[in-house]
Amino acid sequence: MKALVTGANGFLGRHVVAALLARGVEVRALVRPVVDVEALAWPPAVDVFRADLRSARDLARAFDGADVLVHLAAAVSGGEDLQFASTVTGTERLLEAMAGTDCRRLVLCSSFSVYAYGDAGRTLGERSPLHDVADVYGRDGYTVSKWWQERVTRRLTEKHGWTLTVLRPGFIWGRDHAYLAALGQRVGRHHVVIGPLTRIPLTHVENCADVFALAVTDPRAYGKTFNVVDGPGERVWTYLADYMRGTGEVGWRVPVPYFLGISAVRLGFATVFRSATKVPSLLVPDRFESRLKPLRFDNRRLREALGWTPPLDYRECLRRTYD
Amino acid sequence: MRAALIGAGSIARQHLGCLKNMRGVDLAGVCDLSAATAEAAAERHGVREWFTDHRVMLEKVRPHVVHVTTPPTSYFQLAMAALDAGAHVIVEKPATSTFEELEALTRRAEQVGRVLVENHNYVFNAAPLEIARRIESGELGAVTHVEARVCLDILGSSGFADPNSPHPALELAGGAIAEFLPHLASLAHRFVGPHRTAHTVWTKRKDSVLPFDEFQAVVEGERGTASLGFSASAQPDAFWLRVYGEKMQATANLFETRLTFDGPRPVPRPLRALVNGIDEGSAVQRAAIKTFFRKFKGPCAYEGLWELLGRVYQALDRGAALPITTADVLAVNRLVEDLKPRERRT
Repeated sequence: MKALVTGANGFLGRHVVAALLARGVEVRALVRPVVDVEALAWPPAVDVFRADLRSARDLARAFDGADVLVHLAAAVSGGEDLQFASTVTGTERLLEAMAGTDCRRLVLCSSFSVYAYGDAGRTLGERSPLHDVADVYGRDGYTVSKWWQERVTRRLTEKHGWTLTVLRPGFIWGRDHAYLAALGQRVGRHHVVIGPLTRIPLTHVENCADVFALAVTDPRAYGKTFNVVDGPGERVWTYLADYMRGTGEVGWRVPVPYFLGISAVRLGFATVFRSATKVPSLLVPDRFESRLKPLRFDNRRLREALGWTPPLDYRECLRRTYD
Repeated sequence: MRAALIGAGSIARQHLGCLKNMRGVDLAGVCDLSAATAEAAAERHGVREWFTDHRVMLEKVRPHVVHVTTPPTSYFQLAMAALDAGAHVIVEKPATSTFEELEALTRRAEQVGRVLVENHNYVFNAAPLEIARRIESGELGAVTHVEARVCLDILGSSGFADPNSPHPALELAGGAIAEFLPHLASLAHRFVGPHRTAHTVWTKRKDSVLPFDEFQAVVEGERGTASLGFSASAQPDAFWLRVYGEKMQATANLFETRLTFDGPRPVPRPLRALVNGIDEGSAVQRAAIKTFFRKFKGPCAYEGLWELLGRVYQALDRGAALPITTADVLAVNRLVEDLKPRERRT
């Protein structure tokens, strides 16, 4: 089996390439034209294909001999329009190229950001409501582009009769990527921790990559959607303490109960910012909720459908991240 | 009035955001080669229909006004198609890649009895409008010189210097800086009139895919002189406009709301610098606060675009004089043509 992996040199992509190789899957790594692949120290078996999804003219060639597309490429920074162009238009161009090839399976890396946190009950699962057209454009650029990326992928999958697996990871963490938006607000060396007892939907990058490799090789994943978390998640207070211990950062953790935080934001939004169109994320109730609302998370569907358990426990993840 | 837009990425957001709030405008169609981009723009801004083929949109929507906001090298063909479909055209800058193409467009507009307006948005920001008002009232005196200088980090994350996916502006003579020449030229034209001569220096300070990242020009206009500049390295980002009058000098940062005047005061001469300094300091503080709060709402530095579009639609509706005439567009682009580098660099 041969997988075409987009975003292969990214934080998650590097680990997905390794996890696929470990399961005996051949890999064609799609990377941007000026990426230094030498630094990635991939084995010679990895077939590197250089292209930028936004502008490459011959993307269909990337699918030569590929049985499955693992689509990880997405912009995680930059302005909203740049993110949309990279993530959504790039996906559109990639899948239009795929339509002319023999590759008929794909695994998409979506995101927890597609869920409407405010409408979720106590537990956020695969059946929780997603944003709808009426509210998605009030979200941040990353959310809009990931929501649209999944929308485009599902539409084209249906149109061409492909088999799609959608994986929605929570917060992916690991070495050099351990500080998360769910931790609240950093103020200099100190941290305002909103909802210190809230659990974070964590997935360590190596565990997350293992799920992608499993989804590629296990037919039970075909046509399904899974949230990817390692378990119920660590509490913000504990995770931040581990982060500060691991990185050697010194500072205070200032706890603010979630209900106080969201009440203040709602009050501010109803009075000061009601007519504002551009407000920092933490001051918009919906966005505040999507980063910090205390919910329960589980990986029951992953466990039941695919028999997956995380290869690394939290202690081992800490060791691999900070040692 | 039915409006349609071709090219739904990036700057289109400002056009659509403005039109959505404009009374009497029916946002009838939006078109982009990317179906997702077109549909997202339609959903976000409440546009009735979206398309991926501009010819289909022009045929079906029959718009009165078409906004062309695609990458610059496609403006000519799309603007011509819109004129042929009987629409007025508002085109982003630079309106065409060559002056000959612009002449062809303006000729076509005249033949079909429609207008072609190039976006000279910074001329319509609050600061240049206030400076123009003081010139017209005689407060500032006759303008002797104008300086316009953009300091903008286009080497960073803006996308202009992305080595992975060449920015469309790199196809223009002068590369990414060419996108800013109409801004500089339109301000020079506004304050010192059509140009007679222009002398330029194009240089490259940093290693990047851009052919040039610094630009300087000295321009002789009919009513005074202008020095124009662009720097990709000078920080922080700013768009400085300084107008020297015979009675007063005005300084503005068009990326913010800062506007100060230095002129005669009804105080003894030794106190003039002190009073001016205090006045300038408080004006800068007020502008800083205003700049901060305007980030929460509205077009921010694109305030001039919203103002310009409002005036254009009003003029079209009433059959009145346009805020930017064909003569203005041609004069500005004659200057742009003279500002371009003599030879291409890769």
